[in-house]
Amino acid sequence: MQIKQLLLIGCLVNSSALIAQEKPKLSVSGNMGVSYEGYGLNRSPNGWTGFNQRKPWNQVRFTFQPTITTPKWTLPFNFNFATTPTNAFGPYANIGKQNIGQYITNPMNNFGFNPKYKWAELQLGTQYLNYSNLSTGDVGVFGAGFDLRPKIWRIKFFTGVSQQGINFFSGGPNGSYKRKNWMAQLGMEKEDKYELSFNFAKGKDDSTSVTTPPPGIKPQEGFTMSVVTKFVIKDGWYINAEGAQSLYTKDLAQPLSAIIKSFKPFMDAHTSTIKDYAAEGMVGKKSKNFDIGLKVKYLGAGFQTVGYPFLQPDRIDYTLNTRFNAFKNKTNVTASIGQRVNNVSNTALKAKQFIGNLNWFSQIDDHWSVNVNYNNFGFQSNSGLNPYGIKNVSNDLGINPTYTWSNTTMSHLLSLSYNYSKYDERDVVTGLVTSNNTHTALLTYVPTYFNKDITPDFSVMYFLNKLPGFKTTLLTVSTGLSMPAAKKKVQLRGQLQYTLSKNNTFTGNNNFIASCNVDCKLNKKLTWTNYLTTNYFKYGNEIIPNGANYLESNIRTGLMYRFDTKK
Amino acid sequence: MKKIFFFLLTTAALQNASAQLNTSLAVSATPPSALTEWNNRKEVLTFLVQPGAGLQLNYKIKTEIKLSDGTVIGRTDLARATTYTGISTNAVFYAGDVIPLENMIFSGKYKSALEKTGKLLSDNYQICVRLVRPTDFTPVSEEKCRSFYLASLQLPILLKPYNEEVLDATVAGNIIMFRWSPVVPKQTTPVTYRIAVFEVLENQNPVQAMRSNMPILDKEVRGATQYIWQTQGITSAYLDHLVKDSTNKPKQYVGHVTLIKRTIKPGDADSLNNNENIAAFVWTIQALDANGKPLGDGNINGDGVSEPVVFFVRGKVKDIKHDPGTMKTKNE
Repeated sequence: MQIKQLLLIGCLVNSSALIAQEKPKLSVSGNMGVSYEGYGLNRSPNGWTGFNQRKPWNQVRFTFQPTITTPKWTLPFNFNFATTPTNAFGPYANIGKQNIGQYITNPMNNFGFNPKYKWAELQLGTQYLNYSNLSTGDVGVFGAGFDLRPKIWRIKFFTGVSQQGINFFSGGPNGSYKRKNWMAQLGMEKEDKYELSFNFAKGKDDSTSVTTPPPGIKPQEGFTMSVVTKFVIKDGWYINAEGAQSLYTKDLAQPLSAIIKSFKPFMDAHTSTIKDYAAEGMVGKKSKNFDIGLKVKYLGAGFQTVGYPFLQPDRIDYTLNTRFNAFKNKTNVTASIGQRVNNVSNTALKAKQFIGNLNWFSQIDDHWSVNVNYNNFGFQSNSGLNPYGIKNVSNDLGINPTYTWSNTTMSHLLSLSYNYSKYDERDVVTGLVTSNNTHTALLTYVPTYFNKDITPDFSVMYFLNKLPGFKTTLLTVSTGLSMPAAKKKVQLRGQLQYTLSKNNTFTGNNNFIASCNVDCKLNKKLTWTNYLTTNYFKYGNEIIPNGANYLESNIRTGLMYRFDTKK
Repeated sequence: MKKIFFFLLTTAALQNASAQLNTSLAVSATPPSALTEWNNRKEVLTFLVQPGAGLQLNYKIKTEIKLSDGTVIGRTDLARATTYTGISTNAVFYAGDVIPLENMIFSGKYKSALEKTGKLLSDNYQICVRLVRPTDFTPVSEEKCRSFYLASLQLPILLKPYNEEVLDATVAGNIIMFRWSPVVPKQTTPVTYRIAVFEVLENQNPVQAMRSNMPILDKEVRGATQYIWQTQGITSAYLDHLVKDSTNKPKQYVGHVTLIKRTIKPGDADSLNNNENIAAFVWTIQALDANGKPLGDGNINGDGVSEPVVFFVRGKVKDIKHDPGTMKTKNE
């Protein structure tokens, strides 16, 4: 905690000093703020645990993002950090008390500083660097590097730590090995004309970084290299392509291999080292009223990169996307159609997924508009030794007409939204198909007064889900009201919502939600935002104990100071 | 003379019989498809060697992996295989000893598949193991064979909400329907799907949010591939207020660090009135076996976590274009 306090004090002192600068050629702009979020949950009867906490009990977040500008330098800071670790997935899952290294590299905290001088940028601290779609982009690394852009040339390098060594404790952290990363890019680029770049990304676990290794997780090493080309041709036509190769050692503890070729000096091959390829390409045309593009992406079964830890390999996607405006821009259509094939390397268990989306919006006249959307996702695969293959098909159709009218004192908006969703699933043993049908209808009315500041809204929603032997219904009514106060320096907003839900023949569940926002503009630079909500839910007799209920409350309050010494 | 010859023959035969070592082999019927993963799980393969009566022979382990028609697709390189010293007690070997990948020779497409993926192609296989003398590779035990089925595990693919789907705030404030594909191939015991939804806070990218935030939904669903989440307002809570500038028009809001809303400017918008606030979320599925252990098969999603998908909650939208790396709109 002392470390966090020191950090906070340091940031505040630093920012005060910066703001106090009055040299004419030096300016400081940006924002800084602090917010608190509190959560409460009371469950009844005592000892009943049927509803789980959804937020941290207490969380304080800080943001500090000033940019100091001098005639030659730009010095942007990007500090965002919180007091309580809440990690649930990934290397920091369930971490409790953190040491300074773990705190700084925890993905919930950013400590970045990127001083720039003309075409040279120094990158320090936490950086989420997106070099390309197949090399690195999703992982934050704490370290140091640079991004140089002299004329058309691009020279980038960064090295650091993406995760710290965390010891495994039963009931505590899952544990992880310390992972060191580096990445580099060499290339040339002319904006909106062309790009050619070579990307390299590497990560390696330090197997000695923990005394109690994470169970089931092995120290790994990965190296990926890719080449990216982009060309913008005449009349809005463009071509983008990337090819990549990855080498990935799944277990560094396994012996070195004489059979698999090493890639020195970057990697030594072990018996658990795999090597595969990936590629993606796009070709299309963009214009004001018409876009069309074809996209293909292939990821080999053994393609793995440390820069995208959740990338699902062994697949090929191809989609055709289009967008156009018609009838004097009163009709907008976006659509895509394509297929994704999973388990490409595996003829026995190849899975095909159809993808189809359509969204059609038309402004029919001054009063009427309508939006129609349709989505289809079909998934099909053999199921191993079972007599029938897996087949899941999801179909959704939505229609949303809106009618507006007005008189001299007010305008009205009435919107109806209806969605039909069908989900078919085949049993792989019997071959029987189960249909899961869902209907959702939402009616919204929003009156707007020309001479009053209040803005109310009303809505009612009905939801029905049916599958053999099971039926769920929901009926929700809600209303909201927003209005300014204190000479428009305060914006108020309140919302009430009641829901009656019912499963089969059980008695209904009752849910009541009340929330409000109070946003105050304390002065030109300082805003104070507040949000309070309470959620009461009482079960009928569908669970034991009958009548179980809970009260959930959430409060957020935050101060944000925006500064700019130029003004 | 005949009696002497018969005596010598019988003695030699007995001597040869006593030189045989007894072995037994147990192999999981559906082991992980990644062979490197076999080394990490003792339950996958156990090979027991019992000493012959009064003999302590040195030996090597000869392993062959065959297709169901008997075609050999992989075998031990006996010249390089480890020589084990016979001992008077039982010796137990596991996959790392019986199938030492550094000393195995695979053929054709199986070799290629193994180098690319660390896995053999999905099929029915047979593994045959016997002990041989280190010098001339003559057998000193019977061949023991077991069959197994390899299937490359495929984690769920998130179907709905699909990537970058935009949900209506009022509906999403009550109900969000999640659908995903089942684990392939179908498992013998029902799979538990742990579904998790995370807010993407301002200044976060989706994977960062997933790795750092507390999930606002963390629910285990057994056997099914659909879940209807009654959100009870948690997703729409952020959408209810809109900061306006002096002209009373909505304005891009960057002030509140706890808020995840961000302003979307439609590509063809010529009026700020079209700007709207939006909340971003990322969801994923973790597949767990009957014992609650993650399914994963040793790939990069070894903890059974599927590739996450981003969805948005907002009222109306014409065109959302954002950079998945930074989550900023292209116009920002």
